[in-house]
Amino acid sequence: MSNNLSRRKFLKVVAGSGLVGFGAMVTGCKGDSPDGRGWIPDQYQGKGDFPVNLKGRVAIAASNPSIERDDEKCILCGQCIEACQNVMAVYGNYPLPLKMEVACVNCGQCAMWCPSGAITEKRSIREVAAALDDESKFVVVQTAPATKVSLGEEFGMEPGSIVNEKQVGALKALGFDAVFDTCFSADLTIMEEASEFVHRLTSAKDEIPHLTSCCPGWVKYCEYFYPELMHNLSTCKSPQSMLGAVIKSYYAQKNNLKPENIVSVSIMPCTAKKFEAARGEMEVDGQRDTDLVLTTRELAVLLKHRGIDLNTVPDAQYDSILGESTGAGRIFGATGGVTEAAVRTAYFMVTGSNPPAALLNWQPVRGLTAVKEAAADIPGAGTVNIAVCHGLKNARELLDGIKKQGSSKWQFIEFMACPGGCIGGGGQPKSTVAAQPEARLKRIAAIYREDVNAPKRCSHENSEIQAVYKEFFGSPLSKKAEKYLHTTYTNRHDRLFD
Amino acid sequence: MAVLVDITKCIGCESCSVACKLYNELDFKSKPRNGADELDDNRWTVIQQHTTRKERIRFVKKQCLHCKEPACASACFSKAIQKDEKTGAVVYYPDLCVGCRYCLVACPYAIPKYQWDKQFPQVAKCQMCESRLEHGDAPACVSACPTGALTSGSRDELLAKAHQIIASDSRYVNHIYGEHEVGGAEWLYISDVPFEELGFKQVSDTPVTQYTKNYLSKVPGMAAAWALFLAGLTYYNHRCDKNKKSDDDKK
Amino acid sequence: MKAYKCFRILGWDFTITPTRFVLTGLVLLMAATVVLRLLTGFQYVTNLTDETPWGMWIAFDVMCGVALAGGGYSTALLVSMFRYEKYAVVARGALLTSLLGYILVMAGLFLDIGQWFNFWRPFVSWGYTSVLFEVFWCVSIYTTILSIEFFEIITERVLTKQLHRYIVRILPVLVVIGLVFPVMHQSSLGGLFLIMKERMFPLWWSEFLPLYFLMSSFFIGSAMVAVETSLAKTAYGHEIPHHIMVELTRVGGRIMIIYLLMKIYDLFTMDQWGYVFQGSLQSNMYCAEMLFGIIIPIMIIFSPLARSKTGLLTYAWLTVLGVIFNRLNCVFTSMYESGAYFPGIGEFIVSMGLISLGVLIYCFLVENFNIIGNERAVQIKIDKDKDIKNLIWALLKRKKR
Repeated sequence: MSNNLSRRKFLKVVAGSGLVGFGAMVTGCKGDSPDGRGWIPDQYQGKGDFPVNLKGRVAIAASNPSIERDDEKCILCGQCIEACQNVMAVYGNYPLPLKMEVACVNCGQCAMWCPSGAITEKRSIREVAAALDDESKFVVVQTAPATKVSLGEEFGMEPGSIVNEKQVGALKALGFDAVFDTCFSADLTIMEEASEFVHRLTSAKDEIPHLTSCCPGWVKYCEYFYPELMHNLSTCKSPQSMLGAVIKSYYAQKNNLKPENIVSVSIMPCTAKKFEAARGEMEVDGQRDTDLVLTTRELAVLLKHRGIDLNTVPDAQYDSILGESTGAGRIFGATGGVTEAAVRTAYFMVTGSNPPAALLNWQPVRGLTAVKEAAADIPGAGTVNIAVCHGLKNARELLDGIKKQGSSKWQFIEFMACPGGCIGGGGQPKSTVAAQPEARLKRIAAIYREDVNAPKRCSHENSEIQAVYKEFFGSPLSKKAEKYLHTTYTNRHDRLFD
Repeated sequence: MAVLVDITKCIGCESCSVACKLYNELDFKSKPRNGADELDDNRWTVIQQHTTRKERIRFVKKQCLHCKEPACASACFSKAIQKDEKTGAVVYYPDLCVGCRYCLVACPYAIPKYQWDKQFPQVAKCQMCESRLEHGDAPACVSACPTGALTSGSRDELLAKAHQIIASDSRYVNHIYGEHEVGGAEWLYISDVPFEELGFKQVSDTPVTQYTKNYLSKVPGMAAAWALFLAGLTYYNHRCDKNKKSDDDKK
Repeated sequence: MKAYKCFRILGWDFTITPTRFVLTGLVLLMAATVVLRLLTGFQYVTNLTDETPWGMWIAFDVMCGVALAGGGYSTALLVSMFRYEKYAVVARGALLTSLLGYILVMAGLFLDIGQWFNFWRPFVSWGYTSVLFEVFWCVSIYTTILSIEFFEIITERVLTKQLHRYIVRILPVLVVIGLVFPVMHQSSLGGLFLIMKERMFPLWWSEFLPLYFLMSSFFIGSAMVAVETSLAKTAYGHEIPHHIMVELTRVGGRIMIIYLLMKIYDLFTMDQWGYVFQGSLQSNMYCAEMLFGIIIPIMIIFSPLARSKTGLLTYAWLTVLGVIFNRLNCVFTSMYESGAYFPGIGEFIVSMGLISLGVLIYCFLVENFNIIGNERAVQIKIDKDKDIKNLIWALLKRKKR
């Protein structure tokens, strides 16, 4: 009997569980799938190919020397694409499928626009701190003109506050062995570039229009998209690399320092300077021109880490023999500044006398107009037509116009990658009005105040510059000057185009 | 619902993988378990960079292909992975999952991953944002793609579109990956570089589920025949025993 | 003088020898590991990764455990169905090994599943397209059947004689069912791999995989019986006539020849000779498996070598190891891509612990029920002086006094 019972029971269990299973199967009882409890931005709600204003983000390669991105902070708002495409005209201007790399001119504007702080410069703070702590190293630093009118914003000051001496004081407090002024090498750049321009104007007409080369973002842009204009680029290194080269040669020699013991740091408003510092061309006799680049933002972080308040730090002066600057060097940080400075010295080189007051306050090249045109009458050289362009989208329009016409009506064109020039650089303090012109205009105004306040207004008047030429380079465009202060360019067109 | 991936349009921005992590609430901080550009339980989709023989860089989005004949769903013995009839998504239901990991070994592309460091681990793979598909939205990754490398739509439409692109542009290779691979998939890829250079697995067109189906369809018959044979044998033996016994008794 | 301790508690014999003392230790160690595994997941106990999601517990404990336990059904088939009555002496032992094997396999499986509290899901949520579903049901049912069959032996000694009578009466039905399910799931274990066609190295994948697994489970079954009886002989001094063992294993050997021929046929039809002599890891493993696991055993068993006990034992061990090797190859070598897997300490502890547990239960049962040669076994003498563990027991005994 118990046999039957157990068998029946057994069958019951099997059949019962089967029925439950069948029921569960039919009713589709399966619980929740693990997808879709999260959030994505509103603009992406809807069909994927529906046109929306902004979509996704730009590509940033892991090997990018200038910028990086924290995926966790990215909200896919598309602001970086807005900056890259509509301000810099990089994104969307290279053909797909890709060839050898994703185009990036390292300008860092995406970092400026990024509302969540996902995109930042690739930081070198640790390396600089380590160099400062290393007793065996002679750590020198240079500060770019645009940092002097913006660093204060990181310490609660108004945009346009001039923190010239305070910045030097802060850097000395950090423990740098010498603090130099990039404005000094801006003067040096002007000496070389003005000479070069005068030379091209008179005897190398095929290299006219003369295109400036102090902005690394623009230089890379030219290498990518306009390789046929590379021979029009000035061969001058940027002020950063010129000063680096001078520090490790002339300065080291005068102070009995071994170049390999010098760590050359620069404070720049720019992320592309990190790329420039890493370029193969920026090396003389095996010595890198610049070892480490900090953006203005990174310097602020380093100062805060070390407990240095810019508001209270004592003032200090730049170190001789690479510390003197003129008004011409100081205006490099604003769009039109390079042109104005170059014209002042070119005038002197052609005529032998300093330019008239009008050229010392040359309004047509100042301000935030996309493309500014001006003409300078230089007795002996005639009228020089000049264009000043900032923002690479404007540059693209200007250059495409030249390409279309086959010739340029300008002999000298200044290009700055970032809107407003270096004062609007990708490494500058972020403010609530980063993308608006207000902060930039305030910084530009401060730059020109610095110019007016300078005891000397023209680069050739700089006594330390005169000393460098007398003791080391001889004259502008000399063999030695070519070796240390001039450079070559790399055609990057093939990396994007077939 | 299907997705067409045009590899020639991908710039490797990884908007898709970020959108995936946002929508599916995956951990951004988790250490890559299988390498930075490989799938794992917190990376349901990744972008892999390849350098082709002609020194070109190409980015390939990797995620579950949502096969038409999904091996994982067929392999699951508790129906924890099911192909959604309406949307075509191959969806995992953790409540039903026992955790045998047969799906991990069954998938021809080795897509499903496992939460090895969880107390009660579950399988992890792309769900094709089934909850979005139900509302007619595109998967999160497709929505966020800035270059148009990802398009979603019905599979037939996208196939037609892909064929048309290949026909009109001679740069494309004449192959739609996912059209026939192991029986076809919801995710389709077109490319200007042969797929084997881009790390795509070369698989046959026969769905792997076919072999299982063939086998399982024979099992009941074989088992019944075997059981009948054994029963007959038992009966025969029994008769023999009885006869022997009666013979013995007679003696 | 007896070197082991035998306790009699409520009429049951508990024998303690040094070996069993060690085995008990292993079981306790396993118990601790199992608790850790069930509470913390896989991370601390196993070396499993996404590249090798199936590790030692599946490949060794489950695949090999099931194959080894195949001895039960193969002897049952020969004895009950084909009336090779002379093998009946080994039938009960084989039945017990099978039952223990299956229980341990289920324990191993239970540890290997991630959401173990969900183990019952396939009973209600039917994934009938999965081969694993068939395996799951077959193993479950077969283990139940085996338990009932074994109940016959248990009820000889305990419970009512009436119950014993009922079980004896339904035994023929149970035997038939008990021969259907193992054949089904032994082949299905091979069928599990059918879906991995695109993942496995071609040498191991074949549409005949279910048949291969079935056949190899048959010949590993008879080989295992030979190994078991020789082990039982060392422990309990119980001997089974050599010629019976040779004949039994030769049945397996014949299957083995068919197996080899089919494998060769596969190589021709799928045009895979190139892979065999490729010289890669996989091809070398394949050659080793075929040579040592199949070809050499065949040569031994059908040669005069089999007449010696050593020869037979060599055959049996080679066959057992060969099939284990085959299962490991299917799970690991054939799917090896880049990640190297080596079982973690926890995996070893659990596997060893499970086997130890099996041995302990086996010993207890054969000493208390009529199993080996249909009589109760008695532990033979061990030299006391050689073993330290025995001294400990002697000390303990003295303290009690």
